[in-house]
Amino acid sequence: MSGVAYLAARYLARHKLVSGVLVAALALVVFLPAGLRVLVRHSAEALRARAIATPLVVGAPGSPVDLVLASLYFESGAPQPVPFSEVQHIDETGLAEAVPLHVRFRTGGKAIVGTTLAYFRQRELRVASGRLPAVLGECVVGASAARDLGVRPGDTLVSSPETVFDLAGVYPLRMRVTGILAPAGGPDDAAVFVDVKTAWIIQGLVHGHSDLAGPGSDAGVLAREEGRITANASVVEYNEITPENLDSFHFHGDPGAYPLTAVLAFPPEARSRALLMGRYEGSEARQILRPGGVIDELLATVFAVEKSVVAAIGLVAVATLAVGALVFVLSARLRRREFATLVKIGAPRGTVAALLGAEIALVTGAALLVAGGLVFVAARFAPLLLRSALAS
Amino acid sequence: MADRAIHFDNVRFGYGDGDFMLRIAKLELGRGERAAVIGPSGSGKTTLLHLAAGIAVPEEGAVRTCGVEISGLDDAARRRFRIRRVGLVFQEFELLDHLSALDNVLLPYRLTRALRLDDAARARAESLLQRTGLGGKGSRRADRLSQGERQRVAVCRALVVEPEVLLADEPTGNLDTDNKGRILDLLLGCADEAGAALLVVTHDRDLLPRFERSFDVRELSG
Amino acid sequence: MLCGALLVSLACSGGEAPPPDAESTGGRLQVFAVNEPLRYFAERIGGDAVEVHFPAPAGVDPAHWSPDPDTVASYQGADLILLNGAGYAGWVTRATLPRSALVDTTGAVRDRLLARSDGVTHQHGPSGEHTHGAKAFTTWLDPTLASAQAAAVADAFASRRPELADRFARDRAALEADLLDLDARFAEAATALDGAPLIFSHPVYDYLVRRYDLDARSLHWEPDQPPAAREWRRLETIVRRHPARLLVWEAEPLADTVRRAAELGLESVVFAPCGNRCEGDWLDAMRSNAERLAAAAPSEP
Repeated sequence: MSGVAYLAARYLARHKLVSGVLVAALALVVFLPAGLRVLVRHSAEALRARAIATPLVVGAPGSPVDLVLASLYFESGAPQPVPFSEVQHIDETGLAEAVPLHVRFRTGGKAIVGTTLAYFRQRELRVASGRLPAVLGECVVGASAARDLGVRPGDTLVSSPETVFDLAGVYPLRMRVTGILAPAGGPDDAAVFVDVKTAWIIQGLVHGHSDLAGPGSDAGVLAREEGRITANASVVEYNEITPENLDSFHFHGDPGAYPLTAVLAFPPEARSRALLMGRYEGSEARQILRPGGVIDELLATVFAVEKSVVAAIGLVAVATLAVGALVFVLSARLRRREFATLVKIGAPRGTVAALLGAEIALVTGAALLVAGGLVFVAARFAPLLLRSALAS
Repeated sequence: MADRAIHFDNVRFGYGDGDFMLRIAKLELGRGERAAVIGPSGSGKTTLLHLAAGIAVPEEGAVRTCGVEISGLDDAARRRFRIRRVGLVFQEFELLDHLSALDNVLLPYRLTRALRLDDAARARAESLLQRTGLGGKGSRRADRLSQGERQRVAVCRALVVEPEVLLADEPTGNLDTDNKGRILDLLLGCADEAGAALLVVTHDRDLLPRFERSFDVRELSG
Repeated sequence: MLCGALLVSLACSGGEAPPPDAESTGGRLQVFAVNEPLRYFAERIGGDAVEVHFPAPAGVDPAHWSPDPDTVASYQGADLILLNGAGYAGWVTRATLPRSALVDTTGAVRDRLLARSDGVTHQHGPSGEHTHGAKAFTTWLDPTLASAQAAAVADAFASRRPELADRFARDRAALEADLLDLDARFAEAATALDGAPLIFSHPVYDYLVRRYDLDARSLHWEPDQPPAAREWRRLETIVRRHPARLLVWEAEPLADTVRRAAELGLESVVFAPCGNRCEGDWLDAMRSNAERLAAAAPSEP
C-alpha cells in the first residue's frame, strides 16, 4: 500500500463510526437500484421461464393474471373453476396433451395440487425418493415443501380445513406421503401433489363409506327399498384412505362436471398451439392464455414501477452523495492543522488532495464491495424471495 | 560558506500588510554547531526557523541551508529538500492523533517517495523510540500519549530521516524542569550523534548555558 | 352407470394421446391388461412387438380385484393400459395412472353396453341420489363386442408403433376371423338350445343372452360354495315359472350341488367367462364353452 493510502486507511479506521456510516449510506445508494434491478430481473426470468415452459392455460373467464398465477405458481386466489370435461375436450382435439390442475387446498401452508401423471412428465419432475402417488389419498411432496414440513416417504400430511367450522362437511384428509421430488428450482418445489381425484375427495365430491348394500350395514341405512338405499348421517365420512376402505371410494354425479382450477395444454408444436387457440376464439365460457404473454404484461407493469422506484432512489442518491461530500468538506476543514503540518514537514504538493482522494476511494471501494455482496446475495435468493412474495 | 549548516545573508521578510518585518543581516551556524535563539513573543523567532527550513521564503536576501540556497528554489524543490535534510520539532508537536507513535515517527517516509521506508528506517524509528523511553509504546495512538511522550515522539520524527539540520521551536515549552532537561539532553545528544547542526528557539534563558552560543533575534537585524 | 361414465372420462384419451416419446420406441411396448381376453388379444395382435403384463393373481376375478399401491405404481410405467370399460376393474378409477396410456377398449361401442341387471342405487340423505350399480362388463361374451375390443387394441398399438401398423392389422384380421368363427359356434349352440330356458349361476352372461337371444334367469351362486336352503327354495320358485333344464356355471360346481340341481331336473354345465387365466388359450376355452353348451342342449323338448 502506498504511504498516502496507508495514512488514509489509518484515518478512516480511527473514525470508524463516520466511515461506517459513509460506507453504509453509499453502499445502500448503490445497492438499492442495483439490487432492485437484479431482483426484478431474476424474478422476471424465473417467472418467464415458468411461463414459457407452460404453452397454454385454459380456464374460466376472469382475470388472466389470477388464472396464470394460480396455475403456474399455485396461488390460491382461486379463479372460477373449469369443469373436468375440458380436459377431455382438449384431448379429443388431438392438438395437445391436457393436464388438469386443481389448486384450492393447502397443508401446512403448502398448496395441494391435484393433477395427473402427465404433469410430472411435462414439468420433468423427478422423484428423489419413494414413488409417485398410485392410489387415492397418496401424495408426493416437492423438495422444499418436504424440508419445511419435515416429511419423508411413509409420513402423513393432513389437509387444512378451509374454515375452522366447515359446516359443508369438507373433512380434512390425511394423506400418505409416497415420495419426495428432486429440487426443480420452481414453484413445484414448494407444493404437495396428489391425484386430481384425491383433491376432489378433499372437496367432498368423491367419498367413501361403508358398504351400504352389504350385510351388517343396516345401522347406517335409513331406508332400503328395491335397489335403493338411503344412508343416514351416521355413515362414516372417512378422513383417511386406507387399504381397507379404498375400494369404497366412489364418484357422485358426472365427473365431467367436477371442478378444476385450470387445464394446462401442452401442444407438440407451434401449429397445434395455434390451432388449439383458434378453437377457443370467441368463446365466452372459456379463456385460453399463453402464460408468456400474460407474464410479459405483468412484468411490463413491474418494470414501469421499477423505473419510478429507481428514479426516486436516484434522488435519494444525489442527496446522500451531497451529504457525503459535506462530511468530507467539513472534516477537511477540521483537519486544516494536520494538513499544514504535512506541508511543513515537506510533503510534496498534492499530498493533501491525494490523501482526501484516497479516503474517498477507500470509502467508495468498501461501499461497492458491500453493495456487490448484497447484490450477489439478492441474486442468490431472488427466486426464494419471489416464491415467498408470491406465496404471501 | 559551503561548510555552513545555516547561512542568512541580508534577509528581509514581511508578514501580512507590512505590520511585521523581520530583518536578519547575517546569521551563520556551522555544521554540528548547537545554538539557541531567544527573543520575546512576536519577535520573529519562529519565522526565522521557517526561513531556515524553507517553509517561508525571504522577500530579499538569501538563505542557505546545508549549502543549498533554498531561498532560490521553487516550492516543490524546497519541500523535497526539507523533508530529506531538515528535522523539525514544532512548538505544539503537531502529531497526527489518528496514527500510532511509530507511524508518527515514520510519517516523512509515508509522504514522499524520496525517502524509502525500508527495514533500516523502521529499525531507526524503533531505536529512537527505545532511546526516548517509548520502547513499549510504539503502537499506542498519539492521542493516548501524555504531553511529555508526545514531545518525545515529535523529536523522534524530526530525527528519523537523519537530518543535517535540526530545528526546534520551543521544544521545552509547558514542561517541568525535569522534563525540560531530559528533552534538551535528547536533542543535544541526538544532534551530536548525527553530527547535525541544532538551532533551538526558546524563551527560557535558563537553558542557554547548554548551548555553544545563543543570540537574540532582535540583535540580528544588523 | 355414472361410475362407468367416470371411468370412461378418466380413460378416454386412449389412442388419441400425443405420439409416444422417442425413448420408448426402441424397446417392446409395455402393455398392461386388466383381464384375460384383453391379454390374449394383445398377445395375438402385438406378437413380439409387445410385452403384455397381467398382474391379477390366478384364482381371483380381475373385475373386482384391486392391486396394492406398489403394483399400481408398476402400471405407471406402462405404454398402454388396456381397460375393458363398462366399469370393469373399478380400482382404475381410484388409481393414479397415466391418462395417455389408458385405452378404453369398449369406448367405441359404448351405446351397445348393457346396464347390469342387479344394479343398486343409493343416496345420501334426501338429495344426492347416485348409482353404484353400473354396466354389465363381461362384454367379450358377445364375440362381436370382443372384436370391437380387439380393434381398439390394434388401433392403440398402431398409434404407438405406426411402422408396425400393417402387421397389427394383419394379426387383428386373423383374430377377428377367429372371433367370427366363435360367434358362429355360439350361435350354433344357441340354435341347439332352440329357445330352451336357462338358469345362470351368476348374472355375468348378459351379453351372451342378448347376442343369442337366450331365455335366461340368473342366481347369485358361487360354484365352490354350497347354496343355503333359502337359495334352493328360490331356485325352486324360479324353475316353476321358468322351466329350465340347464344350470350354467362359471366354473365346475360342487358335486353335491350338481346332484341336488339334478333332482330339480337341472343339468349343470360349465360356461367359463375366462375373465382370468383359463386352461389352454382363451379362444380354445371359449370354443369349449360353445361345445359344452351345444352338447348339453336338451335333445327332446
